[in-house]
Amino acid sequence: MVVGRSSASRALGTAMLYAAVLGYVVFALFPLFWTLKISVTPTRLLYGHGIPLWPAITTLGNYVKVLAESDFPHYFLNSVIVSVSTGLVVTAIASSAGYALSRFRFRGKGAVAFALLLTQTFPLVMVIPPIYRIFGALHLTDSLRGLIVIYTAFNIPFATFLMQSFFDGVPRDLEEAAMVDGCTRLQALRRVVLPLTLPGMGATIGFVFTAAWSELLFALMLINDDSAKTFAVGLLDFIGKFAVDWGEMMAASVLGLVPACLFFALLQRYLVAGLTAGAVKG
Amino acid sequence: MTRSATAGVAREPAAGRRPRAVRRRAGAALEPWLYLAPALTVLMVVLLVPLGFGIAYSLRHFTAFGSRYVGLDQYRRMLSDPILGQALLNTLWWTGASVVLQFGFGLGLALLLNHNFAGRRLVQAVVFLPWAVPSFLAGLTWAWLFNPVIGPIPHWLTAIGLQKTPTDILAEPGIALWGPIIANVWFGIPFFAITLLAALKAIPAELYEAAAVDGAGVVQRFARLTLPFLAPTIAITVMLRTIWIATFADLIFVMTGGGPAGATETVATYVYVTAFSTLDKGYASAVSVLLLALLILYAVGLIRMRRRLLAMA
Amino acid sequence: MRRGLIATALAGLGALAGLAGLAAAPAWADTTVKVVEVITSPPRTALLKQQFAAFEKANPGITVQLVSLPWAEAFEKFLNMVQAGDTPDVVEMPERWLGLYGANDQLEDLGPYMKTWPDAKDLGARAIELGSAVNGKMYEIPYGYYVRGLFWNTQLFKQAGLSGPPATLADFVADAKKISALPGKYGYCLRGGAGAFTSVQIFMNTMDGAGYFHKDGTSTFGDPGAIAGLQLLLDVYKNGYAPKDSVNWAYNEIVAGFYSGTCAMLDQDPDALLGIKDKMPADAFAVAPMPVGPSGKAFTALGYGGWAMFANSKVKDAAWKLIAFLTSPVENLQWAKFVGTLPIYKSAANDPYFATNKYKGWFAELNDSAKYQLVVVPSYLEGFGNFFDNIAPRTYEAALLGQKTAKATADGWAEYLTQQNKDYLAKHGGK
Repeated sequence: MVVGRSSASRALGTAMLYAAVLGYVVFALFPLFWTLKISVTPTRLLYGHGIPLWPAITTLGNYVKVLAESDFPHYFLNSVIVSVSTGLVVTAIASSAGYALSRFRFRGKGAVAFALLLTQTFPLVMVIPPIYRIFGALHLTDSLRGLIVIYTAFNIPFATFLMQSFFDGVPRDLEEAAMVDGCTRLQALRRVVLPLTLPGMGATIGFVFTAAWSELLFALMLINDDSAKTFAVGLLDFIGKFAVDWGEMMAASVLGLVPACLFFALLQRYLVAGLTAGAVKG
Repeated sequence: MTRSATAGVAREPAAGRRPRAVRRRAGAALEPWLYLAPALTVLMVVLLVPLGFGIAYSLRHFTAFGSRYVGLDQYRRMLSDPILGQALLNTLWWTGASVVLQFGFGLGLALLLNHNFAGRRLVQAVVFLPWAVPSFLAGLTWAWLFNPVIGPIPHWLTAIGLQKTPTDILAEPGIALWGPIIANVWFGIPFFAITLLAALKAIPAELYEAAAVDGAGVVQRFARLTLPFLAPTIAITVMLRTIWIATFADLIFVMTGGGPAGATETVATYVYVTAFSTLDKGYASAVSVLLLALLILYAVGLIRMRRRLLAMA
Repeated sequence: MRRGLIATALAGLGALAGLAGLAAAPAWADTTVKVVEVITSPPRTALLKQQFAAFEKANPGITVQLVSLPWAEAFEKFLNMVQAGDTPDVVEMPERWLGLYGANDQLEDLGPYMKTWPDAKDLGARAIELGSAVNGKMYEIPYGYYVRGLFWNTQLFKQAGLSGPPATLADFVADAKKISALPGKYGYCLRGGAGAFTSVQIFMNTMDGAGYFHKDGTSTFGDPGAIAGLQLLLDVYKNGYAPKDSVNWAYNEIVAGFYSGTCAMLDQDPDALLGIKDKMPADAFAVAPMPVGPSGKAFTALGYGGWAMFANSKVKDAAWKLIAFLTSPVENLQWAKFVGTLPIYKSAANDPYFATNKYKGWFAELNDSAKYQLVVVPSYLEGFGNFFDNIAPRTYEAALLGQKTAKATADGWAEYLTQQNKDYLAKHGGK
């Protein structure tokens, strides 16, 4: 790819590459850095003179308050429960559906794809009243279970698309060979195909976890009970009528970002790797 | 007797075994649906049935605690709603600018990450972080950044001469929409970068080398080799992301509330405001149905176009 | 000492009532009262829980269950709950919601309960007037008043060579001009974003010398005086006496603008004090009554929050006990100090806490009814919420940005409100 280029132009190319990469990194990190900065700024310096890149005095007081004096650890736990459960359930269901779309040709395939697409095309606020009614009847409001069900539904379409891609990357011959050898399709699936798509499943879990962790609207509308609140709703608590506790809110945000970012950072590798194989099949 | 009934493999039914073969083929036809059943059930119950209700609402007029059937009146009302007209225009701007910029920068990032350089793994993990941030938090942080009292951006803009005095771009109707767009671009670049990077990695290196040997320049290699390979991925991701952005109200609502004077009101925020301020769920549903119809048309159009392009290639 | 006496008397009364209750009614036996608070903030929730604990101790058998809604989405969420049938027994009711829930028969009339309530006598007349704003039925017991006063930055005023806060609107504009001449400073913390209309109505009503409606039920906002009031605000913005970004400013921004010393004057309620007093030194600001208009009167806004009971509650007696407890003089005084409202009892004005120069302005407004007219928003109008949250901000911002004239904007408002009022009077046979 760099055949025939002089070393000077290669050096220039490399410098430009690093400059561009640096640009992207700074752009991605700056708002997160700002959140961190506010979280360690004492309240009285928040609206001070000038806008420093780092406050003159830093404090960990906001973190102490969030961890020790608020219900946040509990909200975190709720969010973890909901997000991990949703990730697992969605991946299972989407794997099943993605496998079907990848391997089978059947009438109605278009309709299924259309149905999946349809669920993405309307603002979710439109279905809040009917869902509240239905879930109320099923005793799913005010519970983490209800949230898991809803988040599962939201994420199935895209997760299915992802898993279909991953399955496309595993040649059919593998499981057909297994079936000729006497396995049922399910057995072939379990023994041969799934192990190869484990990275893809990991990536899907990561993607869904992130989406569930960040969701606000339904968590707000469906849950009244303090003990079932999630992290996102908890953040809203800091916006009072009198004042916004910016320092504490940003401290809670930083704490909440850590698991989401860690999870996503660890798994994005698999996302790329898994999608790569699938993309070959187009 | 095996239960396997592979749809793709035709098996000749031996004489006298016809019933079983028919059963097998029936079983074969059923098989994909069994795999799809969990997904379809959940979607039906949780989303599609409520969607049906929502659409039914659009045929009624709601007050806070009651409703009455009004047929297509809500849709007729949309025709003479000036705010809706403005919201549609804003939605076009919002969606178009967001997608083009996210895609462009995402592609650039993907191309960069496709090269090997020192620290690539770490950089890759870092630049994908924005996607993990809850959208309303992203909105709040960016609103903070744009606010001259507490954020740096207006001061930088003034320093480089783009603004005369540090002011909040979110407060100026002409350019307010750019605030949420920039926040959205920040948020969405990772999505395109990840999917396009995956597609890039799938292109066999030998093809590039062959093209280089044939004397193709960088731009030519990109246009003739890279783009066609990326085309299917581009089509799907652009379509999906466009649909998501068009229905996405959180960012805008948190940053500007649809103001000033409706300058950043999109169809999605308008639906939210209508549902909760005027309390007329019926009208909000009608507007949602309009958005739904437009997005379906868009998706169908895009799919058709893609098929035609593939057929030509 | 006096408080101790009252407390003892109350306790005695309470004991008697309790005994009577025991004799007359079945024992409480595990009743749960579900309460929803909406103007939530973590410290306030802690105080509420404390009060509930005290109540539960005094009323064994009753448990209080609290649901706290984040204020930012409280209206939408609560409406959602109620529409789906998930109603509480007791709810915190801001005055702006009263029209919606009261007029739709969602709330219980507390009048009959008050007849046997000993504290009712000490309630100010205002409390009864405001609680029964809808249909004359006492749908809520107010827990305090939010009255607009003028916060002013003493240091900025001194810097601009001004001796004191403006007494008239003309002074207000002149002072704003002088302060804006200081580099980087502005005279007025204008609120152009959410909730702006309360300030707008003050200026319009004060310039017009009238409240919301004429005697014949038409809105006053189309009057030349009212239009002049709106024009005053538009000019303040246009001439740069308020920061350019203020067209978007909501509550948090104007308060931040004030305590960061960016703008020198702010019209707000006592609860803003809570946000300001630990961010500014005590001698840097004070609160004055709102400036008067050409008629020599000022029309300042009065808001309130209170406790209401839902008509479909299954534990009405227990719910009433809770409401009576929360709004009893002792609890109410503590509440008012903490939450930043003016207390509802006539006796509260003698408390030392409310005698400082910060509260002087508000009490002057409360007590001098000739000069200071307290205007309550017509929350009994069903469409008022829509007007306040949706129509007014949109059109006001357009006017500030010069897209609409003051007259066109004001006429539009007048038309809407007149229609709303007509509908209300028709439905309720004229009040």
